[in-house]
Formats: sequence, C-alpha cells, structure tokens
Amino acid sequence: MAYLELNDVSKKFNNIVAVNQFNLHIEKGQLVSFLGPSGCGKTTTLRMIAGFETPDAGTILLDGEDISKTAPNKRGIGMVFQAYALFPNMTIRENIMFGLKMQHKSKEEMAERTDNVLELVRLKDTAKRYPHQLSGGQQQRIALARALAIQPRVLLLDEPLSALDAEVRVVLRGEIRRIQSSLGITTVYVTHDQEEALSISDRVVVMNGGLIEQVGTPQEIYRKPDTRFVATFIGTANEFHGAVAENQTVNCEQINISTSRVADYTIGKKVVVLVRPENIEVFDERPVGSLNNLFEGEIDTITFHGAITRLGINSGGRMFTADVNITGRNALTHHQHVWLSFNSDYCQVMPEA
Amino acid sequence: MTQSKPKQNRFTAWLGILPFLLFCLAFEIVPILLLAKDSLFTKDGTLTVSNFQNAMAPLYIRSFWNSIKLSGLTALIGTLIGLLVGYSIYRWPSKRMQEVLITLSDVTTNFAGAPLAFAFIIILGSNGLVTQFFLKNLNIALYPAFSVYSFSGLVLAYVYFQLPLMVLLIIPAFGGIKKEWRESATNLGAGSFQFWWNIGLPILAPSLIAGFVLLFANAFGAYATAYTLTGSKLSLITLQIGFTITGEVLHDPGIGQAMAVISLLIMGTCIAIYRAATTRAQRWTRR
Amino acid sequence: MNTSKKQRAASWQVIIVVLFVVYMILPIIATYIFSIATRWDRTILPEGYTFEGYREAIKNPYFFITLKNSLVLSVASVLVSLIVIVPTVYWVHMRLPGAKPLLDLLMILPFGIPGVVLALALVQVYNFAPINRSPILLTAATVVFTMPFMYRSVSNNLEAVDIPTLTEAAQSLGANLFNILTRVIIPNIFPGILSGSLLVFATVFAEFTLARLIVGAGFKTFPMLLVEYTRKDGTIAAGLSVISFSIAWIVSMLILWVSNKGIKSSKDVINAR
Repeated sequence: MAYLELNDVSKKFNNIVAVNQFNLHIEKGQLVSFLGPSGCGKTTTLRMIAGFETPDAGTILLDGEDISKTAPNKRGIGMVFQAYALFPNMTIRENIMFGLKMQHKSKEEMAERTDNVLELVRLKDTAKRYPHQLSGGQQQRIALARALAIQPRVLLLDEPLSALDAEVRVVLRGEIRRIQSSLGITTVYVTHDQEEALSISDRVVVMNGGLIEQVGTPQEIYRKPDTRFVATFIGTANEFHGAVAENQTVNCEQINISTSRVADYTIGKKVVVLVRPENIEVFDERPVGSLNNLFEGEIDTITFHGAITRLGINSGGRMFTADVNITGRNALTHHQHVWLSFNSDYCQVMPEA
Repeated sequence: MTQSKPKQNRFTAWLGILPFLLFCLAFEIVPILLLAKDSLFTKDGTLTVSNFQNAMAPLYIRSFWNSIKLSGLTALIGTLIGLLVGYSIYRWPSKRMQEVLITLSDVTTNFAGAPLAFAFIIILGSNGLVTQFFLKNLNIALYPAFSVYSFSGLVLAYVYFQLPLMVLLIIPAFGGIKKEWRESATNLGAGSFQFWWNIGLPILAPSLIAGFVLLFANAFGAYATAYTLTGSKLSLITLQIGFTITGEVLHDPGIGQAMAVISLLIMGTCIAIYRAATTRAQRWTRR
Repeated sequence: MNTSKKQRAASWQVIIVVLFVVYMILPIIATYIFSIATRWDRTILPEGYTFEGYREAIKNPYFFITLKNSLVLSVASVLVSLIVIVPTVYWVHMRLPGAKPLLDLLMILPFGIPGVVLALALVQVYNFAPINRSPILLTAATVVFTMPFMYRSVSNNLEAVDIPTLTEAAQSLGANLFNILTRVIIPNIFPGILSGSLLVFATVFAEFTLARLIVGAGFKTFPMLLVEYTRKDGTIAAGLSVISFSIAWIVSMLILWVSNKGIKSSKDVINAR
C-alpha cells in the first residue's frame, strides 16, 4: 500500500475548479514533484495535503489513516514555504525549536535535534542570529531544517526556490535532494520550473488546469510524453501534423516522416509527430548512405545557448529546430545550405486532439 | 542621483526650504526654547531653580499626578480594548463593513473637545440619558457615587477618543503579521493560543508600545475636553498652565514655565519611545 | 489564489464591535436629539421636540460673528499652510532628499507640544504690538499645530505618484517649468493638497485651546461660544455641537471621497491585473 494516497481529491474556488479528481499514490521515501504552469492546481493540492485547504471531495490517506479531516497542526507533516516564513522575533535556534516545543520535547532532546538538523543543512554557526541577518538561501535552508526537526512523516515544499537567485537555486535543489534521500523522507515538491523537477525527482506529476496530464519518472516524462501538453511543456519539440500513410509514414503537408511508432495506428488517422531538437542531426554536406527522414534546407536563425547552439532551419517552407554542439564543427552561417536527419525511433506520435 | 553637486547647488537647494525653516523657528522652536530658558530665571533675571521648586507645591503635584493617572489609565484601557476591537474589525468578513468601521474610528478620534465633553454630560449627567436608563430600567443609581464631572467621568470621555486612535494604529499592524507565519506555526503543531503567545503578540508588541505611548501623550496634552467637563474642580497640568496664561491665578509666569517644561520633557520622552517602537515594528514586517 | 475561508466572525468579535459602535455613536446621537428636545431630564426619550434652541442661537449676534471668525481662521490657516508647506515638501522631494529626516523630525514636533504649552510660549515671546494676542498669532499657532496633517497628505501623494520621473518625462517632451508645474505636478498632487486642506480646515475649525488662550474674547471662535453655552443653556450648546459635528462629518466624507477618487499611484497601474 502506498504511503501517501490521494483518492479522487477535488477542490473548487467560487465555481472555478482548481483540482479535478486527483488520484496519486506515493511510495515511502520517494520525492515526487508536482510540475505545471501557474494556476494548474499544484499548490492547492499540496495545501490540501498540509491541511490548509479542505477537499470538497475525495480522501487523503497517510500510512493508512485518513487525514482529510485532521487539523493541520496535528498531521505530523513538515512544510517549507516559498516565502521562508521564519519567525522574525526568534533566533534561528528558537525558530527550529518551535515545533519541538509544540511537541513538548525535553530540553535535551530539543537541543540535540536542533544541533543535528543545523548540521544537516550546514548552518551550525547561525544558531544565535536572527532571520533578517541571513541571506535568502540561508533562510530557506533554515526553513527546511525547522520542518525536518519535528521528524515529519511527509515533507512538503511549496516552490521553495522561486524567490532565490538562479545560482543559489541550482545549488540548493541539490542540497534538498541530498538531504531528502539520506533521510529517506517521503517528499512532495511543487514547482513550475521543469529543470528543477526533472533533476531531483523520483517521479514527476505534470498538471494542467486542475488535472494530471502524466505521471512518470523524469526520463519517461521527457522521452515519452503522453499528451501534447506534456510534450510541449517539457523541453521543446518540433511538431508535425499529418495523417498516417502506408509503410509506416506520416504525410505532413510538404514532408513525409517515417517512423515505426505509427505501427499500431490505422491508415488515415490524424496524428501529431514530435521530434526533440537534440535528436536532429545537422550535416554541412549531403551525408552518404541512405538515412531515414533526410531533409535539406537553409539556416534561418542561429542562437547561441552556451553548451548548445539552436538552429532554425527552413526546409521547403517548414521550420525545423535543431540543437547542435559547435565544438569541432565548421562555422555555421545564416543562409547556409544544410542537411538534417533524425532517427525514426526518436519520434513521439500521438493522436491529434 | 548625481552626488557630485557643486557646492553652490547644495547651498541653493537648502535655501529653498528656508522660508519653512524660518516659520518653524519663529513660531515653534524659538518660543519653546525661550520658554525653557525663562523657566530657569526669576522675574528679575537671576538664574534659579525656584520656579521648579514652586511648581512642586501640593496643588501642582496633585495636578501632575492627576494628569499622569488620567493619561496612563486611558492609554491602558485604550490599548487593551483597542487591541481587541482592532482585531475584531481586522477579521471581519465584509470588506465594506471594515471600511465603514475604520472611517468611523477616523472621525471619532478627532471629536475630542468641548462638544464631546458636553455630549457626555448629556448622556451621563445627573439627568442624563444613560443615567436614567440605569435608574429606570436596571434599578441602578449611578449618582451620587459616580459623577460625570469627576475623574471617572473624565476617563470615560477620554477613552472615547483614545479607543479609535488605537484601533487605527493597530489594524495595519495586524496586516504586518504575514499569513505564512501563522500557517508555518500551525504546521509545526501550534494551536491558536500558542501562535499568539509565541509569535503574534511579540511581533505586535512594538506597535502596542507605540500605541500606548501615543495615547498617553494624546491624553496628557489634552485641554478642551477637561476644561469643559471639570472647570476648576479637578486639576490637570494642562488646565493649570492655561490658568497662568489667562491670569486666573496669581501672576507668576515662572511656575507656568516650569510646568510647561516638565510637560515637554514628558511628551518628548513619549515621542522618542514612539519613534523607537515604530522603527522596530517596521523592521520586522518589512522583511 | 484566495483561500475560500469565508469565515464568519467569532461571536465575541461581533459583540465587541457592536459595543464599540454603540459607545462611539451614542454620545453623538444623544447630542443631536438633545438639541431639538423640549425636556429630557425625566425620561429615556425626550418629552417633546422643537427647533426653538436653534432659533434662539441664531438670534444671538455672536452666533454669526463666531461662525465667521472660525471660518476666517480656518481658511487663513489652510492658505498659510499651503504656502508654507507644499512648496517645501515638493522641494525636498525633488532637490533635497537629504533634508527629509529633518522634515520628518519637524513634523513630529507638534505632536510633542501640548496646545497650552505652545500658547504659553507664543504669548510670552510675542508680547509686543501689533502681534500681541492677535488673530495673526493665533493663525501662526494653528498652522504649526496642523502642519503634520498637511505634510503627510501631500508627502504621501508625492511618493505615490513618482513626480521626479514624470517631470523628467515632461522635460524630455519639451515642457518648460511653468507647463510642468501646472500640467504635470499640480494636477497629480491635487488630491493630497485637497485632503490636507480639508483636514487642516476641520481641525482648526474645532480648535478651542489655542483660540481661547492666545486671543481669548478679542476674537471669539465658534468653539468658544459653544463652551460658553455649556454653562448657560444646554439646548443651545447641543445645537452648536450638532453644527460642529456636522461640519466635521461633512469634511471627513469629502476627504474620503477625494482620496478614493484620487491618488492613482504608479504601483496601482503596474499591479492592475
């Protein structure tokens, strides 16, 4: 049985459906991300797990017990807020001990746990300071420490890194993952940043408009998106609309794409074919041998992204986006004539909505 | 903002506020300073503390004590009840009603003075509306134990304009208590009482102190309300100072000056505490 | 996203608010009723109603004299206040931000000076003709007293509207000083000026302490007449109170209307979703 279960959870605000029949089972010790654009319902779902919102329908089970009606201060769930929420009138140490005070722990135990948790987030020497004396990143680490001090059964994080600088974000998300996996604590992580979700999660729940679009490992979400939304929300993709034809091809207006992925589709079915830019190979000269899906065109745009360079290639009126590594290549120029190709296995096909 | 302004420019810039500074000096600062200086001299010009000694006569000590008692008591009542009223208004579900109540407070806190005093005579005088209500409907005779012209009457009248002042001060302070702190505390296991005791009230404390001190100063310096209600029966320091101006008392300006200086010191302390407290309050709620 | 916690107020909160409102309104309502009551010392409600009190009040020549005096005093205070404060606030905001702490300090000062003390100081320093115990001295005193209100009103308005940026924009579009003043600055700080003026007007109109102590009988103001009547004739005193209250109410409503119509701050525009 899953450790944390949400069954048919729904929530409305003023006739607007925020969360629609949300079903999810989370195994103990996993880090699951809720990923989606603003307003998709991820924060609302998280707050229902915490108890700050009550579901209109459905149940939430933690370790077998129904916590849907339990008061938020009695659920044994730790929460980290986007705005850190450290109490300004207390020192760092007092902040961390607060939850332990509420649990009526002995002085020795409070001191021990506080020290442990400060050690964990590597901020032992801030104990006597006040929150306003710490940087944003440090405050968030303390917020994490404070939530962990009470040894919660589940840890919830509500866009914890959104208020921080880009650099700090990357470092801190690694820290959070390290701590989470070393403690083995079941964690739900809400974010709108896909890079964050993909880099630290065991599983990702992609949400849109109150509904779950797809649940899977980061690799599954990325390589095998189930729906158009997931495919375009995660990373970029070239989209080709067409109809299935014979010999495992899809007729998309000016071009035909050959892909084994249409094997189970009936001829004539309208589909969308998705190809990721990194899966497209770009050649300066016509490549020898016979390659599937070979097209030629002119370079329209060149955008330097550091590690990769993104090319916009115009092939007979159709635009392809391809990512190339320019190390060791001849320089690419605008209007240069190039050839491009992609493996028929590196496509994702889904029915036209 | 270029800091490299040539010296002339800086000088002319300060010139721009000269008229205002002159006005303040002429009608505020210099007269007060002269007053303070005069309080240390006798009528014939010798340096002395006799003015202050004379101001320690029993009549004046009583007046000071009355003023302090009145100010302290009404400030305390105003702060405590204002806190509860302010919180109730802050948590009122209807935004419109909130605005109405805040406007009501805004208007009534400025009602101090003769009309207010008289209004209290109407409702709590010996034949007053409320007096009669108590007598006829609840069979309680307020008089002669209570009199609107006494200290308690004054307290009730002062509380009338102290209470809304505190309400106006404390409502924004509640706004400074971030929602996340409440949720975070709840998440960590705190109930309502524990939140307020450990976090809410400590954060509110500077604003409460600022409010109390402001209310104290507000009451201490008030004149018109007391003048209308008590005449010469009950003595307050502001009334005494007033008597020295209108010549209703043996004309020794020194005593008036000494009392004025002492009042200024008390008010000045209040303002200083007020500033310190509001700075502290802002520091916490700004983060 | 708003939490749907449409909480009903707890019952103790409702009781407290009701008691508060009753405490605030009762004296006012009682005054209004008293002013038109024939006899009201034996029953909960008056035994009869009449406007006789008001008629008597108007017959007194001092009624219009004091009304006029108070109006003149209030208007004069507003004008002097505007002249002394508005340019100063603008100047400090635009050219001399370093003086802001000084200005803040000066604006807190009047709160620390009781009316009687200011009156005493002024009367003793300016004891020479022609300013000695004159309405002019009184006006200076009332302006000092109400400075913080005008200041805060105009200052808040200035900060909300980001005048420096607007001025620069106007300059870049070719406007000269006069145009900038009349078309950009004054229209945008007008709500603050209006609110401040109304506040000063209302405060000075109701001012008793300074009027009585600085000038006394030489320049009777409306509040002074009121106090006289509290010792002579209760009904008329109540009538005068009604006039006092009513003016204060009207001014408060006006101030509210002005501020609700008024200050569109840059932040409001940016945050408009």
